[in-house]
Amino acid sequence: MCRQCKQTLAWLITTMLFFAIAIALVAGYVPTEATMGPIQKIFYLHLPVAIATFVACLICFAASVGYALQRDMKWDRLASAAARVSVVFCSVVLLTGMIWGKSAWGQWWTWSPRLTFSLVLWLLYVVYVMVRASVESPQRRAIIAAVYGIIAFLDVPLVYLSVRLMPDIHPASVELAGSMKLTLIAWFGPVFMLMFGLIALRFRIDQRAAELEKVESEPITAPGQMTWAGGAGSAL
Amino acid sequence: MNAVLTLIAKDLRIEARNRQTLGLVMVLGILIITVLGLGLGTQNNVNGFSATAVLWVAYLFSGVLCFEKTMAVERNDAVLSALLMAPIDRGVIYLAKLLGNLVLILAVAAVVTPAGVLFFGFDLSAAPITFAGVMALSILGFAAIGTLFAAMVSSSRLQGGLLAMMIFPITLPLVLVSTQLMMRTFRDGLPVSAASVGVLVAFDLIFLTVSWLVFEWVLEP
Repeated sequence: MCRQCKQTLAWLITTMLFFAIAIALVAGYVPTEATMGPIQKIFYLHLPVAIATFVACLICFAASVGYALQRDMKWDRLASAAARVSVVFCSVVLLTGMIWGKSAWGQWWTWSPRLTFSLVLWLLYVVYVMVRASVESPQRRAIIAAVYGIIAFLDVPLVYLSVRLMPDIHPASVELAGSMKLTLIAWFGPVFMLMFGLIALRFRIDQRAAELEKVESEPITAPGQMTWAGGAGSAL
Repeated sequence: MNAVLTLIAKDLRIEARNRQTLGLVMVLGILIITVLGLGLGTQNNVNGFSATAVLWVAYLFSGVLCFEKTMAVERNDAVLSALLMAPIDRGVIYLAKLLGNLVLILAVAAVVTPAGVLFFGFDLSAAPITFAGVMALSILGFAAIGTLFAAMVSSSRLQGGLLAMMIFPITLPLVLVSTQLMMRTFRDGLPVSAASVGVLVAFDLIFLTVSWLVFEWVLEP
């Protein structure tokens, strides 16, 4: 087994282990919240995933700036990987939020600031992924994606400021008992490991694909063997 | 500055001679208002102030068409290559395109807005200047983003639908702020809060600067 496969496997097992601990804490250790009942427990997944989404968006932004300045395809692959992961994570935030909302407010969806904010964030990065898919030339795709990635991220604080003008029912800050805090912290570990791991995995896959493409586009010549073009070149 | 004026004059002259974009976009705007009016207005479930939302739909779609058309002019006969060879800063090209787009979209707004106001019975008399100011600020931000992305999409020969897809999510803060502002002003009779106008101004400043800076990366003959 190659070194990278071992690393991936080790990461996968550790993440799963942390998830198991986190789930066990939610199932057996943390007390059920008084007013909302067991559905409140979805919060332990919801909040860490929401914060991981922002971190993934930040990585996408940083990598986009990196590509724009250095024009190295590595940055582009990193930005693409981070954007894909942030779309997946943001979907989880929206879904868990909706389940929460259904039981807390009786509605799947309300146009409250944070829900709107998450939806716009999701839209921004879904479009990022779509835009990438529709440009053929790798260099053009990279620069277009980088410009869009920068602008989308700069848009995020503006979306945040603008949604604050709407009436709010989302809890702004939550008072937590000690055991609840501990459980929440326990959930941050596996969620962030999953986020970083997925980005790294996607990045490596794209890196390998690019290497493979490069190898395939080169003419196959055995070492020492002269091609016609090479022979002619050296004779001149 | 001279270069900017020359470029705008060129674009507007082309527009004045073939009158393609403006007519097309105005009719599209009125069509959108009519469709929404038929869908919503006949059931009387639209209050006056939701006209802002209707107007936004019209602005967004006709705006995207405007941006597409003004960049498409440069595609014909490889004019863009000539433009890129001209000894001027690429930022100047951005400014000229932006101002040209603004002229067009404001002309469209000047037709579409009265139509919307008329069809939806939106009473502007309470604060006409606030309305005009907020809409002008929003349209400036919209055009700033639209001009950049239109150049990007046109340079890469992408499909038309993509431009709308890129612009709409980015401009959502503008839609949100201006509709909230209009509701406050016209429904609740509250004065305009500095914070919300601040968001609009911040949007305009950030995206004007960023677009101006990155414009040269996205242009390609």
